[in-house]
Amino acid sequence: MKCALCGHEFDADDVRCSPACPLAGGCPVVCCPRCGYQTLDESRSVLVRLARKAGAVAKRVAGAREEVS
Amino acid sequence: MQCHGSKETLAAPSKDGPIVLVGNPNVGKSVLFGLLTRRYVTVSNYPGTTVEVARGAASVDGLREVVIDTPGVNNLLAPGECERVTRDILMHERPSVVVLVADAKNLSRALVLAAQLGEMEVPFVLALNMSDEAQERGIDIDTGLLSDILGVEVVSMVATRGEGLDDLARALAGPPRLSRFTATYDEAIEQAVEQVVTLLPAGTRAPRSVAVMLLTNRKGAAALEGVPEEVAERAAAIRRDLRARYRQPLGYVVNHQRLDAVRRVVASVYSRRQTARESLASILGRLAIHPIAGVPIVLAVLYLVYKFVGEFGAGTLVGFMEGTVFGRYINPWAADAVAWVPVGIVRDFLVGEYGLVTVALTYGFAIILPIVSTFFLVFSLLEDSGYLPRLAVMVNRPFKAMGLNGKAVLPMILGLGCDTMATMTTRILDTRKERLQVTLLLALAVPCSAQLGVILGMMGGLGPRVTLIWVGVLVGTLFAVGYLASRVLPGRGSDFIQELPPLRLPRLSNVVLKTLARLEWYLKEVLPLFIAGTAFLFTLDRLGALSRIERLMSPLVESWLGLPSQATGMLIMGFLRRDYGAAGLFDLSRDGLLDPLQSLVSLVVITLFVPCIANFFMIVKEFSLKTALAVAGFIFPFAFLVGGVLSLTVRALNVGL
Repeated sequence: MKCALCGHEFDADDVRCSPACPLAGGCPVVCCPRCGYQTLDESRSVLVRLARKAGAVAKRVAGAREEVS
Repeated sequence: MQCHGSKETLAAPSKDGPIVLVGNPNVGKSVLFGLLTRRYVTVSNYPGTTVEVARGAASVDGLREVVIDTPGVNNLLAPGECERVTRDILMHERPSVVVLVADAKNLSRALVLAAQLGEMEVPFVLALNMSDEAQERGIDIDTGLLSDILGVEVVSMVATRGEGLDDLARALAGPPRLSRFTATYDEAIEQAVEQVVTLLPAGTRAPRSVAVMLLTNRKGAAALEGVPEEVAERAAAIRRDLRARYRQPLGYVVNHQRLDAVRRVVASVYSRRQTARESLASILGRLAIHPIAGVPIVLAVLYLVYKFVGEFGAGTLVGFMEGTVFGRYINPWAADAVAWVPVGIVRDFLVGEYGLVTVALTYGFAIILPIVSTFFLVFSLLEDSGYLPRLAVMVNRPFKAMGLNGKAVLPMILGLGCDTMATMTTRILDTRKERLQVTLLLALAVPCSAQLGVILGMMGGLGPRVTLIWVGVLVGTLFAVGYLASRVLPGRGSDFIQELPPLRLPRLSNVVLKTLARLEWYLKEVLPLFIAGTAFLFTLDRLGALSRIERLMSPLVESWLGLPSQATGMLIMGFLRRDYGAAGLFDLSRDGLLDPLQSLVSLVVITLFVPCIANFFMIVKEFSLKTALAVAGFIFPFAFLVGGVLSLTVRALNVGL
């Protein structure tokens, strides 16, 4: 992923939320290893996954409608 | 196809093996795959994963070849599922050649993969896709020089128009070439790599790649079942020794050094022409960081944020949620629903003065949720538009003027997101003294995003004069404490912004997804704490301790700060989460229990108040319990001192609010 603050590209898996944080359990926050800016790993969000699925279904329905027409 | 769980180590390229398409996400791999294979395609999940892999047949130089399209990745050695699938295909499918598909506008991302393919000793052809877009942006790539440096064929393409397809077919028909480009790491890593290489069984293919993976991605390396267990264990010992040398994770250090090697290549083959006409976004982007022209832009952006969050979020949305949804429906319904509960204490715990529904859920959903939703939406817009780094550049200047050195400025900016995490990032500072100074400043005067949202909401109803005084007191405190910090923190310039992304119109889908992810994270974190905080207050109230604390605090809260006694409970909540305390004050203000001066004083106190419980524990973890108590011990009286002095000053000067 790309840091929204400093533009540095990194793998979210390399920089999971610090286990030192008392709220680290299941925390989706990742910190850019270069500048420390906090970003959320969207792949861990249930709401994001649902929204993506809904978007994909909507696209498929629209595609099917186009094919029918 | 070889199963990824086979007992085979890295397979050598096979003349009869498939052509494998590899590349970063969104570089046009699938378009190229479609061009090469036309309609002879099957798509299935890669065994044991949910990752889809497409296979098809293409005719290259009169021969029928199998083509495999892999998922987009940025790092072949990372532990993600997509990366594992791509790695497994490269290792076990014995590709005759790989087509590394690159976005010509962003060559460095592709060259990271090129360096890894070089390390893995996999032959490849580099397809520079979207060359037309790169040309439009004035980017020239010396493909001849790039080909010489890498030692492989480099082809320019526009896959969507089929341009360059013939060149690619010619390159694929030629003999597969291994790249000579691999990253050289620092001495310690190179020594560790050499040590691991000597441990590997004779005949291991691409030993350098295996060694790097064993050092950086233990789980991924475990998949290389050709590596004997005792070798993996000895490599783990080498990795532990190596890891102790670096502050950052080893995977990050290796990636960073690989990226440095890539940047040197990019610098030698990339050139930018001045395009005929500068775009409006480019002009705005430049103005946004101009020392003078950037100021009105910052002010305009902050004003819009204030209007949207403070007036729309905290006014309209909170009014609807609190007055209509909770006031008319949920709270009366909850009161009716628990009326049959025979035990009074249980009823009170659910819908009483400090009830689960009437306080915890009402604050969480009716007050904070609408405010932080609007704030997160604006924040996502700022991020996706590319303005956020420009705002950071602009904020960096006054912070430096306050006497904070460049490195120390960064956690301060990050504290506007979450002080707890920002406290952790003080690790980038060189000495314990520097870290302590910045931790103190963070806990003292930097409101986190949720608290800032609620404060903005409260300001929305109080008018610009209160807002300006609040900002003035905070900036004054930062200047004063920042000046003290500068006496012990020798200054050094900061270059934390690596690249300023182009300013652009935000993409709706990105903004919505980011906002949803933030809201989910916030609700997961905040609601349990709100419930715990409410239960704590309920217990104090039932035991009669709350009124005793209020009496005890009365000289401070009522006499010194001039606040009503109910504010004490909100300050106690503020220790659990500062936004919770701010929400309580917001509620008191809306109920008419705080006049504008009391609102201002309470906002200043809650902003400067002791760190929230998560931040407190983070300070304990990062320093010690003694330090955390000392920080809280300084901040607690300091917040009351500033609040009291402000109250007295405004009254003495008879400032109308």
